[in-house]
Amino acid sequence: MNLPHPGLPSFDYIRAQTLEQVVDLLLKHPTDVRLFMGGTDILVQMRDGLLEPKTLVDVKHLPGMTTIEFDPDVGLRLGAATSMNAVAQHQAVVENYPLLAEAANTVASYQLRNRATVGGNLCNASPAADTAPAILVLEASLIAFGPSGERSIPAEKFFLGPGESAFNQGELLTRIDIPLLPKGCHGRYLKLGRNAGGDLALVGVAVLGYPDETVDSDYRFRVALASVAPTPIRALKAEEILAGKSITDETLQQASDAAMDAAEPIDDVRASARYRKAMVRALTRRALSEVWAMLREEN
Amino acid sequence: MATHKISFNVNGIRETAEVPSNMTLLTLLRERLAITGTKRGCDTGECGACTVLMNAEPVNSCLVLAVEIDGTDIVTVEGLAQDGQLDPLQEAFIQHTGVQCGFCTPGILIAARALLDRNSKPSRREIKDALRGNLCRCTGYTRIIDAIQEAAEVGG
Amino acid sequence: MDAVSKSHVFPSPIGESVTRVDALEKVTGEAKFTDDLQFGAGLLYGQVVRSPHPHAIIKRVDVSRALALPGVRAAVTGEDSDDHIGLYLKDRYIFCRDRVRFVGDPVAGVIAVSESIADEACRLVEVEYEVLEPVLDPLQGVQEGAPLLHPDLGEYVVADFIDPKPGTNIANHFKVRKGDVEAAWSKCDVIVECDFRVPHVQHVPLETHVAVARVDQTGKIILWSSSQSPFAQRNLIAEALNMSQSDIRVIAPYVGGGFGSKAGVSVEGTAVVMARKVPGHPVKMRLTREEEFYCAFVRQGLIARTKVGAKSDGEILAMKTEYYWDAGAYTEYGVNITRASGYSSTGPYRIPNVHADSYCVYTNHPVGGPMRGFGMPEIHWGIEQIMDMVADELGMDKVAFRLKNCLRGGDKNVTGMTMHPIGLAECIEKASKAINWGEKAPASAPHKRRGKGLAIMWKAPAMPPNAGSSAWVRFNEDATVSLGIGGQEIGQGSFTVATQMAAATLGVPLDWIHISAPVDTKYSPYEWQTVASRLTWSMGNAIVQAAEDARRQILDIVAAYWDEDPNDLDVKDGQVISFKSENAIPLKDMVVYGLPLPDDQGWHGGPIIGHGNFMPTYITSLDNETGQGQRAVVHYTTGCQAVDLEVDTETGQIHLLRVASAFDVGKAINPDQVRAQMEGGVVQGASTAILECLQLKDGVPQNPSFTDYRIATSVDIPDEIIPIIVEVPQDDGPWGARGVGEHPMVPTAPAIANAVAAALGVRILEMPMTPEKVFLAIQEKLGEA
Ligand SMILES: Cc1cc2nc3c(=O)[nH]c(=O)nc-3n(C[C@H](O)[C@H](O)[C@H](O)COP(=O)(O)OP(=O)(O)OC[C@H]3O[C@@H](n4cnc5c(N)ncnc54)[C@H](O)[C@@H]3O)c2cc1C
Ligand code: FES
Ligand code: FES
Repeated sequence: MNLPHPGLPSFDYIRAQTLEQVVDLLLKHPTDVRLFMGGTDILVQMRDGLLEPKTLVDVKHLPGMTTIEFDPDVGLRLGAATSMNAVAQHQAVVENYPLLAEAANTVASYQLRNRATVGGNLCNASPAADTAPAILVLEASLIAFGPSGERSIPAEKFFLGPGESAFNQGELLTRIDIPLLPKGCHGRYLKLGRNAGGDLALVGVAVLGYPDETVDSDYRFRVALASVAPTPIRALKAEEILAGKSITDETLQQASDAAMDAAEPIDDVRASARYRKAMVRALTRRALSEVWAMLREEN
Repeated sequence: MATHKISFNVNGIRETAEVPSNMTLLTLLRERLAITGTKRGCDTGECGACTVLMNAEPVNSCLVLAVEIDGTDIVTVEGLAQDGQLDPLQEAFIQHTGVQCGFCTPGILIAARALLDRNSKPSRREIKDALRGNLCRCTGYTRIIDAIQEAAEVGG
Repeated sequence: MDAVSKSHVFPSPIGESVTRVDALEKVTGEAKFTDDLQFGAGLLYGQVVRSPHPHAIIKRVDVSRALALPGVRAAVTGEDSDDHIGLYLKDRYIFCRDRVRFVGDPVAGVIAVSESIADEACRLVEVEYEVLEPVLDPLQGVQEGAPLLHPDLGEYVVADFIDPKPGTNIANHFKVRKGDVEAAWSKCDVIVECDFRVPHVQHVPLETHVAVARVDQTGKIILWSSSQSPFAQRNLIAEALNMSQSDIRVIAPYVGGGFGSKAGVSVEGTAVVMARKVPGHPVKMRLTREEEFYCAFVRQGLIARTKVGAKSDGEILAMKTEYYWDAGAYTEYGVNITRASGYSSTGPYRIPNVHADSYCVYTNHPVGGPMRGFGMPEIHWGIEQIMDMVADELGMDKVAFRLKNCLRGGDKNVTGMTMHPIGLAECIEKASKAINWGEKAPASAPHKRRGKGLAIMWKAPAMPPNAGSSAWVRFNEDATVSLGIGGQEIGQGSFTVATQMAAATLGVPLDWIHISAPVDTKYSPYEWQTVASRLTWSMGNAIVQAAEDARRQILDIVAAYWDEDPNDLDVKDGQVISFKSENAIPLKDMVVYGLPLPDDQGWHGGPIIGHGNFMPTYITSLDNETGQGQRAVVHYTTGCQAVDLEVDTETGQIHLLRVASAFDVGKAINPDQVRAQMEGGVVQGASTAILECLQLKDGVPQNPSFTDYRIATSVDIPDEIIPIIVEVPQDDGPWGARGVGEHPMVPTAPAIANAVAAALGVRILEMPMTPEKVFLAIQEKLGEA
């Protein structure tokens, strides 16, 4: 039996003033200091007794942390502490990266999305993070600030294991940079929960497709999965299949099978591995069909 | 553990408090200020009974630290009625039996107020979606959705 | 008693959908729940050390390190539990003395100045256990040689209609032997046999359990609690602590959802025992959501073995049932669920030959308690599926099959009781029609399958034969009325219905009636418990009597004043009027100060206060061997639900398109509230049917939080719920009313299962019908094909 605390255990709260101060704190107290943005992961974990930091450093008020900027020549720059709602409602996101808005909107509830941040979602590095598959197929970069300044980490290198990410000692996430997307692309994020909305993903599938004459099928697809492996993953084999031969129902099915094979889920209290695998196939198939239909309509 | 001096508005009234770091907004409201309309149903952001407006946006007050509300405006269910006049949502909840045990009601009213403030004519689908973070075990939601739709129609 | 509407109750609020009397308080945040009450600086907090083992002997409890922590005021252990406690079977100590029997069983308690210090202190309490082999399945539990949970079962105090088997884990065995089942099988053209399973689920009231207890310097107790049963709590605690009922006062504010979980005594006992250690200080015990999942009542699990036989013309001849209830560590309440399920084991069917055994089996699982439906949702899960299976075998339409076999007024039921008039057939007809039964409708997409199904139900209030109610009405100077009741408002609308009944009987406007709430055992009239859907009927009768009593006093006084016959007078709209003389006098001129006698002869009358009570007087017992008797229950409420749904064959997700829900409520005192119960019941029923299961592994709940115990949200509800009210009056109900609070969730799960079977040709025999389970069942069927 694992009873949570009836309230939050004690800690000190510090509202960070500068990035350098944060780096300094992280370096000096690597185990006792935790960063805090929306708190929707960390406060729950603290209440559950999983984490007992002595200090929470609130970094969401630092300059740029909640800025959303779109440059038509470069792409989107998303402050790490932008809330799910801010992202999902931002015009530039809705127009240029609807997949990201769709993913953000699947998270929990409206009120939780006012606090939950995209950066927190990624930093928490849960395999079930709903924005992670989107970030993977959008081939975003995570911008970390650390002792030696800024560094860019490609999304596909970011997730190392459940709760583990590629930050070095003393680093924090400040921004997520999303490049301009290929012309004519379309995307979908499909999520399956136990009930019709608001649940954590049993399976999440993001698909981005776009015309690309350099490949045999004339189309490229990027496929990423949540909740079916120790980290969010790209289903590269499926992507290869889709690039390799002309897109037919059969190709879509083969790619979905490949996505299923890429999944290495576990049995847990939420679902069996067997069901999860089958759902990867079903949802991938569905997402691919929908994206393919949109692509065809335009070309 | 350090404490923090904060000042904020609750339902239009200026308040100051000295709060420990680990106090949540929910606990501050209920146990320090005795503003108990806002309810505690889970303390983990799942049930929505603790929903309040923070600078006009709904949040789960069980997952907001009290120290974070320094300088903000908080509105709880007690602040919905203005000058003795019920909010149209409150009227509609009474008329449509949107209430049974009433424990979820404060949080749902706040979530609904926020919905109508950002979308004055929501569809049924949009109402359901806006309420998915507010559990109600009694009503089956139907009448709550009816009430919100009605309030929207009368321009609430 | 003549409770039926008379001419004087005009214009009557009975049958009107008046708005809820508690709604204004509840939408403004004014309504006070237990945790909202303010106790000032003296308030202390209690936290409980709970067993991590499903079954173990307590070897040693050491609270010394906890007591040494600054801020800790006291600690309690099993030694502080006096006597056993329990409703029908006194089988538990408030704090375990020698043995723990489920994960979460209270072992010790700490009282401190803050919740967090109490929490920290609990983690310092040392407990040494000798772990015992647990019983994790009722079928294991009934076997000879299974580990015994309660070696002292034979010594426990038990209600006389409960039959424990000392030396076993069987806390109750209820039997029905009617006709000759074995002989009947050979006459059947179709026989279907099937096992069904129901897992543990929980009530999940939005408000977790909260209790605050204060023991004063003279030893008297005040308990504020979120309770469906303030009087039963007072009584049980008095008995457990060997105190007088008058030295215990229970104050029960609004309840944030109960569904049975707040009936009887649970955390309240721990609060009281802790408060005894710190006289003068209120001690608050409130469960976190996780503790609620671990330690509050659960709905018992069930394994049902069922066999039904019918003739080719559709007539059911025989039914054989074995129920093995996974009753958990203590069955103080569950023993009566076992009994109720036994005497209702046929469902609302006319079956001449019945053989039923219902076993209440101790297991090292969370404590089974009453939950909305009191065993009926669990047993109807199997009954209503097997009836569909029989109809399938017969090639008979399921509506026709039910209409042929369902109970009607005058029929003898399973226990030999003659059924009072019921509108079950009408419910079946109306519910099935509402979803266009028989018409095939297309699914909305190629990968979806559509299906329709229905289920019928019955349920009687399950309670001691002599569970009573009482009420008073008291006039104030302005002729407004204070209405005293001991029944609770737990969301079901009892205060509103009580108000309507009092206003109608007294002849005053509705808004003159004010419920004297919160219920306070020191001032409120006795009420057994707010359970069993019994308030509208039982408390309603008491209210009508009390109001009649007051009304009689008023008419006598005014008649004397006018020198008229009281029979010529009436109270209407707050005035006494005479049909004969056409005299009129406002009530406010006489209800408190009386009236002067002519010629300065003095005064007549006095403050009006009316009293009433009600208790059924006609309940008889059932034969121990056969389960037969004259009248074991007061009445049955019956109904039918019909479901139209779609299943996504690629994911297994069920989408409810329409649910029609028809119940015979006798008389809808407030039709809108009846419909509200039906809607809420459908959604709670659907939620348990599709989503809910407290997953137990080696006795340990695996999903004790909202993250993993999902309940229906606003996006999960049926597209349409069609509530249908049927009214066949109950002879002894106020205006003919009977209860409907629990019933609407009873048939929902089997109705959905039957519709799923119709859609897919696949039967799910174990709840819940999660997408995963449905999907895998489809796969299995494809594999077979
Ligand atoms: C009820 C509920 C429902 C949820 N449902 C979903 C869901 O459907 N889908 C989903 O994906 N998630 C869900 N979550 C999880 C959570 O809300 C999201 O992961 C959220 O995006 C986290 O963001 P945050 O800002 O609240 O994170 P925080 O809790 O503030 O931080 C998360 C982690 O990141 C670290 N961190 C914070 N800031 C930084 C930084 N700048 N640099 C480096 N590390 C940092 C923190 O120390 C912590 O470990 C749910 C949570 C709750 C409570
Ligand atoms: S108490 Fe905050 S969401 Fe439940
Ligand atoms: S009315 Fe009881 S939880 Fe909503």
